[in-house]
Amino acid sequence: MRHIYLVLLLLITPIHAVSVEPPIRFGLTAVVLTENLRFLDQWSEYLEEKMGREVEFVLRKSYREVMDLLRSGGIQFAWICGYPYVQASNSNLIELLTVPIYRGKPNYQSYIIVHNSSPYKRLSDLENKIFAFSDPDSNSGFLYPMSLLADKNEKPESFFRHTFFTFNHAETIQAVSDQVADGGAVDSYIWEYLAIYRPEITEKTRIINKSPEFGFPPVVSRTGADADMVNLMKQILERMDEDPAGKIFLSRLKLDGFNRFPDSLFNNIRDMANSVQMTAIRKYATKPSR
Amino acid sequence: MTMLLHNPRSWSLAVKLSLTLTAAIAAVGFMIGAVMIVQEWKRFHDELGEKALLLAETIAITAPKAILRRDNWSLYLSLKNLAMGRPGTSGIHEITTAMVLDANGLVQAHLHPADNPMTYPFSPPNASEKVLLKQAMGARKPIVLSGSGFTKDNFQEGIVPLFSDQKYMGVVRVRLSTAQLYDKAIDSALIILAIVFLFVIVGSVLGILVSRRMVKPLTAITQGLEAVGRGTMTEFSPIPVKEQDEIGRLSITFNQIMAELAEKKILEEEIAMSEKLVALGRITAGVAHEVNNPLAGLLNCIDTLRKHPNDKQLIDRYLPVIDQGLHRIKDIVHSLLVGLRIEESDETISVEDIDKLHHLITAEIGNRNIAVSWHNNVIDNLQVPGRLEQIICNLLKNALEILPNRGHIGFHMYQNKAHLIVEVSDDGPGIPPEIRSELFDPFFTTKANGTGLGLWIVYRLVQSMEGIIQVISEEGEGTTFHVAIPVKSHKAA
Repeated sequence: MRHIYLVLLLLITPIHAVSVEPPIRFGLTAVVLTENLRFLDQWSEYLEEKMGREVEFVLRKSYREVMDLLRSGGIQFAWICGYPYVQASNSNLIELLTVPIYRGKPNYQSYIIVHNSSPYKRLSDLENKIFAFSDPDSNSGFLYPMSLLADKNEKPESFFRHTFFTFNHAETIQAVSDQVADGGAVDSYIWEYLAIYRPEITEKTRIINKSPEFGFPPVVSRTGADADMVNLMKQILERMDEDPAGKIFLSRLKLDGFNRFPDSLFNNIRDMANSVQMTAIRKYATKPSR
Repeated sequence: MTMLLHNPRSWSLAVKLSLTLTAAIAAVGFMIGAVMIVQEWKRFHDELGEKALLLAETIAITAPKAILRRDNWSLYLSLKNLAMGRPGTSGIHEITTAMVLDANGLVQAHLHPADNPMTYPFSPPNASEKVLLKQAMGARKPIVLSGSGFTKDNFQEGIVPLFSDQKYMGVVRVRLSTAQLYDKAIDSALIILAIVFLFVIVGSVLGILVSRRMVKPLTAITQGLEAVGRGTMTEFSPIPVKEQDEIGRLSITFNQIMAELAEKKILEEEIAMSEKLVALGRITAGVAHEVNNPLAGLLNCIDTLRKHPNDKQLIDRYLPVIDQGLHRIKDIVHSLLVGLRIEESDETISVEDIDKLHHLITAEIGNRNIAVSWHNNVIDNLQVPGRLEQIICNLLKNALEILPNRGHIGFHMYQNKAHLIVEVSDDGPGIPPEIRSELFDPFFTTKANGTGLGLWIVYRLVQSMEGIIQVISEEGEGTTFHVAIPVKSHKAA
């Protein structure tokens, strides 16, 4: 039976395939809101048209899964967080492709948020409380609050009563607004994005701490990917602000555009990662279920 | 109408029967309705319990792993999605609360996280909740817990204990409110009641129709019997018979009886008519005979006088005879007229007028050795029918005539409840038994010069007043006439 299918597949494929080349696979993480599938479809169509090749967005729950896909060659491009970037850039696995420009700068922050009705004013008020992290590989959602605790010589398991991961910045905001968690650490870009599109959620939260500015989660390519394809993708992304269709997508993403920035943009993340005891993080991070 | 309402015993059978039928139908209908409502409620309730259990089972699928991995967020999301629904779905609004507790009763996830923070022990707000928590924590297989009573605040709670490799991990509790169920049950109860009400109305109308149809022949029979009472059964038209049941057979039998009664009545009327003719014939024959007897003598006298017109001695002898004969004929005709012309009359006299008869009879006795004992025990101002005077007078004269030159006449009048009783007695020779039946016949007499109409007139008078006359007589001992007249409105005001 399987053989018949194979034969059929061989017969059909040349007739129906627009291109014999395999699709470009582009990994997306929680750095952008991936809930709007229609928007992603339209964006991938836009990229397909420009690239002349099929483009497929690949969604995974955690950063680590996306990083594993990059490592295994399952994807050629990915939009990842600064923390996995600094971790992977050392191993020569990926190359920095381009960095989104948000509110005129290639920067964002980490927000420590609490429920609007709560009395907490600073992170130390959250001692012995429940805290929501986004992803164990997230800069804004995990590394930054970890560094804050490390500065106080505290570990999350002893400082907080209980912590959990939502693997999604939007869900961390939800956890705080629903009072499942007393506090949480989120990406400023996602918080501000939700404040525009779903203000009823962010209105229930209050920012008690804003981090210094970090390099915005960058788009990376897999080391060793086809150089023409990588250059074309870089051009298309960086010129999105030059054509009307691209502008529409950028305005939906609340971004100004993409541009080339040096790797040094992520140095403060790199420093922070080094200062935090890596062993503690490794021990603490829960392996995702998938 | 109000009297009818106050006295249900006087209601028509058709009304009573249809009311009974209606009441029976209503009772049965409402009982069935009530049973249906209760069943419906129980069914809804059980279904809600099953639903609660199913929802708890859904959470329980992933809960043990989530507890092990401290993945409280996905536990919470699954509870929240169940209750609030994912984007685009409405969710299950009946869920009032849902929670996942670990083996130590610590909250792992709660639908209302603000009041029930995770990793803290779940604290029941009241005593009954405490009992429920104990039951939930004690459950080692899925169960449904429910609140008691038929109220809006009631609930059904699905309890599913969590196990991982036979190790107890905790429990999932999903509570569904019966509020929507309550509304649903009220709605269906209203529909059931409406159907039952309709059923009762239709049943009542049918009951009325059936009972009227059943009672119709009975009403006709009652009317027929009333006609028998009035004696107008000949006007009765037979009851139409449609059914062959008991009432049908009763109708048939009743129709037959009525037909026979009508026939009998006609026959009786015919007999009465012929009896009248016989009586008339007898009277006519009596008149002819009584008038004819003196006539023959009178004609003889006239014939003899015509032959000897100048015989003064003959004239002196025959004229008194003719006079006597003509007077007798006149008496007979007069008495006949009196007896035949008795008419209803409301003329009344006082009791004192009766007492005057005492003087009259005393005068009539003259020097005969006859004693009269007179007892009038009726109250003085009582008004009695005028015809009573004639009756008493005739009876007294009769007694006087029957007595030899010595004897005793008794008169006693008194009131016995609704009757005025008059007794006239004598101690004469008495009436021989063989002639007692003819005593009141016209022209029957034992006296030499009697017309035989005296007692007949008495009898006719008593009859005209719807009274009774009785004769008690013993040969050689005497005779007593008892007359009883009903006292109508003769009492003086």
